[in-house]
Amino acid sequence: MKFKASSYRLITFIQKALVYIILTAFAYIMLFPFLFMFSTSLKYQTDTFRYPPRLMPMKQQTVEIEGYDKALPLYYVDYEGQRREFALVQTNIRIGTFADPNNPSVLHDRLMEEVEPTGGSENQATLLWDGEEEKLWDVTVNGKVISMVQLSQTAVGRFVDPADPTASVLQNARTSTPVELPTLRPENYSDVTQLQGLDRSLTNTALVTILVVIGQLITSVMGGYALARLRFPGRDQLFVVYLGTIMIPFVVLITPLYQLMVILGWVDKMAALVIPWIFTAYGTFLMRQFFITIPKEIEEAALIDGASRFQILWRIFIPASVPSLAALATFTFLYAWNSFFWPLVIINTGNRLNHVLTLSLSQLRGRAADNANLVMAGAAIAILPPMIIYILAQRFFVESATSSGVKG
Amino acid sequence: MNSAQLSNPVDNRTQILLRLLAIWQGLVAAGAAAGILLALVNPGMAVWTKVLFALILALAAVGSAFSVWLILRRDHRGRVLSLVVNYLAFLVCLLYGMQVLGIFLGIDALAGTFGRGLPFLLGLLVGYLVGAFGDRYDNYPQKQRFYRNAGKIIMVVFGAAALVAMGIFQGLYTLVTRFDNPLPFVLLLGAVLFGVMIWAMWRGPTAEVMGAKSTHAEMLNGLLFLSPNLLGFLFFFAGPLLLSLYTSFTNWDAFGTREWIGLDNYAKIFTLDVKPLDYPEQPWPEVLDATRFDELTRVNIFGKAYVLGAADKLFWLALRNTFVFSILAVPLSVIPALFLANLLNSKLPGMKFFRAVYFLPSIAAVVGVALIWQWLYNAAVGYINYAITSVVNFLNMFPGLTLVDPQVRWLSDTHTALLAVVIMAAWQWIGFNTVLFLAGLQNIPGELYEAATVDGAGKWAKFWNVTLPLLAPTTFFVITTAVINALQLFEQVYVLIPTEPPGGPNNATLSLVLYLYQKGFQRFEQGYASAVAWVLFIVIFAVTLIQYSRQRAGTKAYGG
Repeated sequence: MKFKASSYRLITFIQKALVYIILTAFAYIMLFPFLFMFSTSLKYQTDTFRYPPRLMPMKQQTVEIEGYDKALPLYYVDYEGQRREFALVQTNIRIGTFADPNNPSVLHDRLMEEVEPTGGSENQATLLWDGEEEKLWDVTVNGKVISMVQLSQTAVGRFVDPADPTASVLQNARTSTPVELPTLRPENYSDVTQLQGLDRSLTNTALVTILVVIGQLITSVMGGYALARLRFPGRDQLFVVYLGTIMIPFVVLITPLYQLMVILGWVDKMAALVIPWIFTAYGTFLMRQFFITIPKEIEEAALIDGASRFQILWRIFIPASVPSLAALATFTFLYAWNSFFWPLVIINTGNRLNHVLTLSLSQLRGRAADNANLVMAGAAIAILPPMIIYILAQRFFVESATSSGVKG
Repeated sequence: MNSAQLSNPVDNRTQILLRLLAIWQGLVAAGAAAGILLALVNPGMAVWTKVLFALILALAAVGSAFSVWLILRRDHRGRVLSLVVNYLAFLVCLLYGMQVLGIFLGIDALAGTFGRGLPFLLGLLVGYLVGAFGDRYDNYPQKQRFYRNAGKIIMVVFGAAALVAMGIFQGLYTLVTRFDNPLPFVLLLGAVLFGVMIWAMWRGPTAEVMGAKSTHAEMLNGLLFLSPNLLGFLFFFAGPLLLSLYTSFTNWDAFGTREWIGLDNYAKIFTLDVKPLDYPEQPWPEVLDATRFDELTRVNIFGKAYVLGAADKLFWLALRNTFVFSILAVPLSVIPALFLANLLNSKLPGMKFFRAVYFLPSIAAVVGVALIWQWLYNAAVGYINYAITSVVNFLNMFPGLTLVDPQVRWLSDTHTALLAVVIMAAWQWIGFNTVLFLAGLQNIPGELYEAATVDGAGKWAKFWNVTLPLLAPTTFFVITTAVINALQLFEQVYVLIPTEPPGGPNNATLSLVLYLYQKGFQRFEQGYASAVAWVLFIVIFAVTLIQYSRQRAGTKAYGG
């Protein structure tokens, strides 16, 4: 009996642990691209091309040494069996590996400037070696000069101790580990703002979003109230029409709406980003669905007291429907803030003053193709505001997602 | 009748106003009729605008004339008709006046100064919060009033400051300078006149004389409340929708030409031709009409090779890509979501946190997300290839395994480009679907699970026999939404795989909407683009209908 209970407890524990492991793994997958975005947006450009990639923004440390006019990069080197931080002072020093044709198993590494072509550089002596004609070099071994063939050549760098520049090491610079410290580069944000005029795009997006949200709330609340509570001929048929049009995809509208904008003279104008989006069937539908749940008695009492319909809407319905309004507002906010297709169609690429963030970002991709740090800073500027609002008002985002269909 | 008039005598003023209203409606009717004539003889207008104008004005004229007769008979319908006509005319004058004065275009100018006003708008928020803070003192009315008033003052001050910072004086000055021709004056005068007439008809005494009842008031209120949404909706949605249908039968190029070409656009989209080949490698121009067709694909049936040609090869490619994308992306974003939602529904602590994390991708702009994934997909230094390499290296540590690192060039390889888009889109949609599923799961009554437990059902049995059937409406909604979204694939491809023209390597990721964009807004074949849009709409509509009917059949089966 006792054994059974403890094994049951063990199984539930394992099950719970498994659930958390799976959920955490998915959470990591969901968050990782954003982590990547923020970390890259704070990196130096050279750091973005590092392989293997890493999240922590790092920067190679440099040191000033007397006698050198530029700051020198620091690397880890092996010096007398110790791991030390040395500065790279000279690169591309070429080293040849030579072998005596008579004793090819012993290899000799020499700086190329230390060896001389056998017979002078004008008519260098050669030797048939492994079926190929190889040039011969005079290499000094223990004071003796031997003609050798060159097997290979590498380029190395010279590293010196910053404290004692006479101590130097030759080592391959490309495979050496640089001395790095975590360093952030927040200037990416200001750089990208200047490069693409993102400040203007940001205020444009904010303005468009505010106007669309306010306008849509007003028309949706009024329309929803009419459809929910005020009887007039044709109301129910109209409601069915509204319901049906929610399904019609925006892409069907994009060419004729463009034509309408041509007629109105709103092409390339921000009015085209605001005015058509104030009137939606979706918002009206959502508010109607909520208003219909409010008990009629309160309204009737207010009517008997002589309140006008506007007063009833303002004093009774709106205060009672704050969560629904917030859900609609967040939905509209996201839609307006993130919309891309319509601005792409209606705003000219040259007219930067009217660009919204998404449009600027898609252009930035081309302008800063090699600067992942700048592109990611731009993406962060576009993604951060909704993210902050999401963290503050998470409930309404979830509600706006679920109210769209599951509960209705 | 007589006694009623005695007890409620019609005062002089109302009599005069009603006579004035009758005359006014007569004038409006005459004006609208004259407008029809002007529109019809105006050579500068296109035929369809002429017809549209004439139709609207004719409605106004007939309505006005009819309302004169009804007003004289003190019939309440006359009041409604007069109010509707005057209201619409008032709106036309007002909005057209605003358009003429450039108020809508003023948003551009406002955007320039809006940034300066933003800090003051935050002040508005502070004022609101101060006012709301007063709500805590429900038992101290004096304190409450103080906080509310302080909040109001703060809001007014900051609101005024914001307006000044945004350049309201400059804007007003610009507005005044726009009154340099008679048109704005005429329109404003019209708006004022129509407004006065609305007031004259709306006021209580007039309503009483016209025999208004409370149901009438409700109806008029209903129309008034719905009007902003309904009119905007008709103007920016229903109207363009009809225009789009008309345009799809023309060859409009967005600038001048607009000829009726009937079904030619649709014919070009759908024209296919199948021809047998003498040998499988035969070049297609030898059998197909090369001036009309392009090779789409080759098939081999019973040892005989055929070539399938299409008049618009790119459309069929786009259709195929769109379908492939939907078939992959929808299950990839729905099935994991169902799984995760079931885990999240397990009432363990911390589930709200995970739900919040999963939902995060769906609030981010697709453009931003695509820019991030572009770097994750980078063939040389991207994390995705790094992860693959790490896994391959790890597996190769086991004896006997020698896997080759694929080194996928995700975005430039024609075989993987679409898959890359699928993965990114699924990643972004999973959280949204999870939240929807979770809401559906939480609607399932717990007693059903208890009953199933009593019956000895295991976890899987419960999932198959309780959860899935009861979740069917949610599943239907989630799948429909996902399919409709998937069929409209555009932004993901446009940003993730920047090619010119957009469509990915060798058109491997050309979607229907991308094709529509190319045709309509890069080559300005708007007539053709409209036809493509309608084909897409019909596809979406068909998918929804199929799912809907399946769903109904499914719930019936479960119900029985």
